[in-house]
Amino acid sequence: MIHLAFVMAFLPYNTLVVASGVAAVGCAAGVIGTFGVLRKRALVGDAAAHATLVGVALALLVTGQRNLAVLLVGGLVSAMVAIVLLVLIRKFTRTRDDAATAIVLSVSFGLGITLISGMVSRGIPGSGGLERFLLGHTASLTANDALLLGTVSVVGVLCIVVGLKEATMVAFDPDFAAASGWPAATLDLVLIALIAVMVVVGLPAAGAVLVTALVVIPPAVARQWTERLIPMLVIAGLVGFLSALSGVVISSLAVQVPTGPVVVLVATAFLVLSIFGAPCRGILWRTRAVSSLSSEFLTKTEVGVATPTGTERRP
Amino acid sequence: MTGNNSAPEVHADNPMLEWHDLTVAYGRRPVLWNVDFEIQDPCLFGIIGPNGAGKSTLLKASLDLVQRAGGTVRFWGQRLAEVRSKIAYVPQRETVDWDFPVSVMDVVRMGATSRLGWFRRGGKRERELALASLDHVGLADFAKRQIGKLSGGQQQRVFLARALAREAEIYLLDEPMAGVDAGSQEQIFSILAELRDQGKLVVAVHHDIRTAAQWFDAIALVDMRLVAAGPTAEVLTPENLTMTYSGRLGILDEIGEAVERRGRTS
Repeated sequence: MIHLAFVMAFLPYNTLVVASGVAAVGCAAGVIGTFGVLRKRALVGDAAAHATLVGVALALLVTGQRNLAVLLVGGLVSAMVAIVLLVLIRKFTRTRDDAATAIVLSVSFGLGITLISGMVSRGIPGSGGLERFLLGHTASLTANDALLLGTVSVVGVLCIVVGLKEATMVAFDPDFAAASGWPAATLDLVLIALIAVMVVVGLPAAGAVLVTALVVIPPAVARQWTERLIPMLVIAGLVGFLSALSGVVISSLAVQVPTGPVVVLVATAFLVLSIFGAPCRGILWRTRAVSSLSSEFLTKTEVGVATPTGTERRP
Repeated sequence: MTGNNSAPEVHADNPMLEWHDLTVAYGRRPVLWNVDFEIQDPCLFGIIGPNGAGKSTLLKASLDLVQRAGGTVRFWGQRLAEVRSKIAYVPQRETVDWDFPVSVMDVVRMGATSRLGWFRRGGKRERELALASLDHVGLADFAKRQIGKLSGGQQQRVFLARALAREAEIYLLDEPMAGVDAGSQEQIFSILAELRDQGKLVVAVHHDIRTAAQWFDAIALVDMRLVAAGPTAEVLTPENLTMTYSGRLGILDEIGEAVERRGRTS
């Protein structure tokens, strides 16, 4: 971390602003992703992420503007359309959940890629560099873009902070919440919409292919370290923040590297560390606990077996 | 969800809970047909029937958790929306993820805060209510434990405590004895009987006829339709039980015969 702070001190102003904005996105993605993961909606987020490309491309085609806000609104619309399609497929066909998600994900992604490459090859103005939305590329962001991303992230986190009771109740037990008079289905929809928003503002940082990692990995890391919800939200936010921040800084030093893979690799490093080293749930801890338990058991058994023969006195 | 308004008006002529021609279908497959009966007074009421008889669906349809194809449900003669704060639901234990990062206390507090308005987290009163409910089910010592680190019986008691924290008048429980050892069953049944003695109505979906006969004051036998309903001794007759479980017994007999025939021919 000290290295990171040291490097940041020498970064140009624009990179610094962009890094802060994207770090805020990472933090919010971790917090909102926590509820996504707890509600078992990770794959829905992935389908929404892959569907954003269609909207980004269409937004450029329709408005002719290469403005980040416009492109992201387009991405959000197509992400929501994908989610609605997913719900409809589940409701009106006998396709199973996982298959339905895979279908929506691949079809919308294929459509997005076709649109983007078609636009690039025809030389439609502004379409150059659209493929950056595939893997994320923060170097081209302006300070204004970063401000937009940061603002949306802060609003997203505020939604969770304000509605913590409602979100927890519905995520844990939607039937109990509904029976108690809460609009569980609507709250579920709001949660999915929030995930879609985070996936969209995560696009510049991680790209359509990798942005799910930003929503899923930090909560997975956090769950390893705690058994309580609020600490889990804080840790997930922190891990998301650090992953996104170091991703931006590292990729700004090595210009050829897209931001997304770096962000994901940093987050994965946290995950590997946590899977092995976390207290209680970590593999190392569990192995130690099991071996100490079994050695205790063995000693007791030995005592149990040894005592009768030991006390047996020879005549 | 709406605050602690006064107890609903109890009209002597309105039963605490009544179903009229309740019909539920999943897609085109009917699950419950024209269920029609009422529970007049506070009691410990069992809904008994074979697997897939629609017992859980009966509770869920009463709480608007699944859509009704027809019929009505009334609490004290009123619609659910008007009396929701007086009703507590205990879902089946397997419906939630017990690895969820919450403590026993957190879950029971959800019962207390579920009665507050939007965005209100509750304070001392809710905390004390939750603690009292936990104490009631004998789990006060486990308040800080993560819910996954409990036995089946303890988890079921956490769910019961969450319902108690709603301070309701009617309790609807879905299989509260599933995966619960005999000792915990006894404990849970005594808490339910205590609620009945305090003038509450307790309706529980249950699968074991023997314990049902021992504990419930009244019973409804259900097998996609209402077979019989009334005081336990009158309902649990051999004829009624055969009618309730006949479909299944018939299938079992057929399988038995088929196996026998194959044994002979080979």
